Amino acid sequence: MTHQQATRRYFMIFVPSMIGYMVATIGVVWARDHADLPAMGLYVLAALPIIAILCTFWAHWRFITEIDEFLRTIQIKAVLFGLVCLMVMASVWGTLENLAGAPALDVFWLVPTFWLSYGAAALVITRRDGGVF
Amino acid sequence: MRNRLKILRAQRKWSQSVLGDKLNVSRQTINAIEAGRYDPSLPLAFRIARLFEMTIEDIFECDDDLPPGP
Repeated sequence: MTHQQATRRYFMIFVPSMIGYMVATIGVVWARDHADLPAMGLYVLAALPIIAILCTFWAHWRFITEIDEFLRTIQIKAVLFGLVCLMVMASVWGTLENLAGAPALDVFWLVPTFWLSYGAAALVITRRDGGVF
Repeated sequence: MRNRLKILRAQRKWSQSVLGDKLNVSRQTINAIEAGRYDPSLPLAFRIARLFEMTIEDIFECDDDLPPGP
């Protein structure tokens, strides 16, 4: 499979999933604030954006397995950098919370932290090693 | 590793894209191998050698002496 085909397959899952995530999140927030749902009902509704975000993870996993070995190396280096940033943030802030009484950080922000640091690393490594944007 | 990929490709008047298509890898991968920024895996090195009907050693050469084993 060519890089272009893999990229196309990635966006064919990623874009609808992100749209679904946004729509589902807005819908769940609206339902939470306006509809008198039982707690279990909210859990069920909240599964919708969760499924959408899991689809984006799966699309990314498939993309990395479908591109060629050099481009995969770039992606894996970027993912590792993103994971390192995630672990640094979790361990530093977690320690500050436990030992110094820092305000609790919503774990939701760990995922955007990963995506932003992964994306920045992918751009830098691609530029350095000559991959594909 | 040094390699003769660029020379071999030029002898056949293939672009990087054409060679990439023949090896089922991207043009960027061919470019990185030719520039010495990326050493291909053993399976890809075999595919390259087969395509040019040569041995891997005819195409790839180690820069320095190999480091001693454990």
